[in-house]
Amino acid sequence: MPRIARTFIKTGLVYFLCALLIALGYEFDTFRFPGMMPLFWHLLMVGWITQIIFGVSMWMFPGRTREEGFVAQKWAWSTYILLNIGLVLRVIAEPMISHSQLMIWDILIIVSALTQVAAAVTYTIELWPRIQSKEQRRKNRKKKRNKG
Amino acid sequence: MLAPSRWMIRCALLYLLIGFTIGAIMLISKAYPTYSQVWMLLPVHIEMLIFGFIIQFTMGTAYWILPRFLEGPPRGNIGYSKWMVGTLNAGILINALSYLNIFPQWGTTVGRSLEIIAVILFIHLHWRRAVSYQR
Repeated sequence: MPRIARTFIKTGLVYFLCALLIALGYEFDTFRFPGMMPLFWHLLMVGWITQIIFGVSMWMFPGRTREEGFVAQKWAWSTYILLNIGLVLRVIAEPMISHSQLMIWDILIIVSALTQVAAAVTYTIELWPRIQSKEQRRKNRKKKRNKG
Repeated sequence: MLAPSRWMIRCALLYLLIGFTIGAIMLISKAYPTYSQVWMLLPVHIEMLIFGFIIQFTMGTAYWILPRFLEGPPRGNIGYSKWMVGTLNAGILINALSYLNIFPQWGTTVGRSLEIIAVILFIHLHWRRAVSYQR
């Protein structure tokens, strides 16, 4: 399993636990804070489910590069970085936005929204060309060999 | 990867892009509540990401990756698989258009029914593929 897939899956597991801890905290009045339910759902669906889909598909779909590293796998790593920056910023800023009038929380929310959309774009750039029939894959391999 | 899987996964990626964009607009509206009418899009956001992305992506991948039949068409009736893709996506689109009040409210009944047909076809196509050929 490539490092990018392992990183996605392990990060997803951490979010899974965090989501359930938030759900547990919701049961007690003392641990409740504003925006808790949207955070729970997004940690579960984006942090866990989406992240595991991203990680496993980058590993299992045909046509992945065997070379490790940011440069060789730039779209995959960009997806990981953007998605997680977006999610962490949301976790920080969303509860604060109803408490504080400071502009910084609005800015962080905007950055969070934009980085998550950017992650969806980089993931599509990574995966779209790898959705191929066997024949397309054979042709592409031939092309690569001829170039080499 | 066979055509039905390719169609489903590509559609799932398109729904991911649209769903995340809608989500981003709604998140930004938390900082700028003057545009709070964007919250009308919440059911569309949920429909596109749960049914359009997560469910469709996993269905498309399962169709490709589960063990194939040793005799006959390797993944069962190809016609059924095309109907599965068609009914699922028609259901998602009809639901989204109904949430946006472009279609009447009862559109969601039609949409959900089409999604149920897709799931029945999915179960029919995959039930006997959940198998081990090892002795």
